[in-house]
Amino acid sequence: MDYAASEPGATAVASALAIKILIAGGFGVGKTTMVGTISEIRPLHTEELLSERSVGVDDTSGVESKITTTVALDFGRITIRDGLWLYLFGTPGQDRFWFMWDELALGALGAVVLADTRRLDDCFPAVDYFEQRGVPFVVAVNCFDGARRYDPAKVRRALALNEKIPIVLCDVRERASVKEVLTTLVTYAVKGV
Amino acid sequence: MTGEDPGPLLRLFGLTGGRARPQGESFDLVAIVTTVSGSFETAELIPEHRTVLSVCRTPTPVADVAAHLELPLNITRVILGDLRREGLISIERPRPVAQTIDERIYREVLHGLRSL
Repeated sequence: MDYAASEPGATAVASALAIKILIAGGFGVGKTTMVGTISEIRPLHTEELLSERSVGVDDTSGVESKITTTVALDFGRITIRDGLWLYLFGTPGQDRFWFMWDELALGALGAVVLADTRRLDDCFPAVDYFEQRGVPFVVAVNCFDGARRYDPAKVRRALALNEKIPIVLCDVRERASVKEVLTTLVTYAVKGV
Repeated sequence: MTGEDPGPLLRLFGLTGGRARPQGESFDLVAIVTTVSGSFETAELIPEHRTVLSVCRTPTPVADVAAHLELPLNITRVILGDLRREGLISIERPRPVAQTIDERIYREVLHGLRSL
């Protein structure tokens, strides 16, 4: 079982890396579908138990927090190679869970803001959030069945997006399409290095 | 964890002693967890602890550990905090993006995505 020469943890820890990409957007826009389309594992659904005191509390106090609600968090995984993984986190849709985003966004490579042109307003909060925190993001317009193909320029104007931020039309059910969204994001993010 | 049944929640409280946050230094959802070699034989561990030690013999991100345990991420993190305090696992310290994702990693990720 034991590998004789290995220093406890240290070596392996240094060589393994998991990278976060966030999938944001309004409720029902297709975040979980997008994660499922590209993930090599069935999207894992966990529920975070939130307490009234879950933010900024001294964790050594031992004071029991009252758990008041749960929030769903879906994530999927893409293995790039042994010891290098991409994790896609579908961010909680409801605004009252924004504080969870801070933790999700910390150290993230970037984010995909999924937009539904019928409800473009829904993705304003996500766009604002990533802009304010300097997290690289792309806007992916999910083209639902029968929905008109939208002119990206119109979406850009409607969202008042900076010229540099990529806009991709996509179908979250199509693997090739999701791949394109993610490669666009990574290509865009690398420019910031 | 669905519906009104308080049972699962009570069980989760049991696992964490009612704590909602892990002990010690904070760690990320995708921090790498590694079992400290030789620690898996410890006798008096609860099943969840055993699972963690078994899974993390291969360095594994926190999110994946939660998936293996089928537990919420923050409950998983309390469990991981306890195991770390006992010296049974190590958890990667938080590092700024700039230190973790360099150009080489970006290229690897791009290449990996394209060849999916």
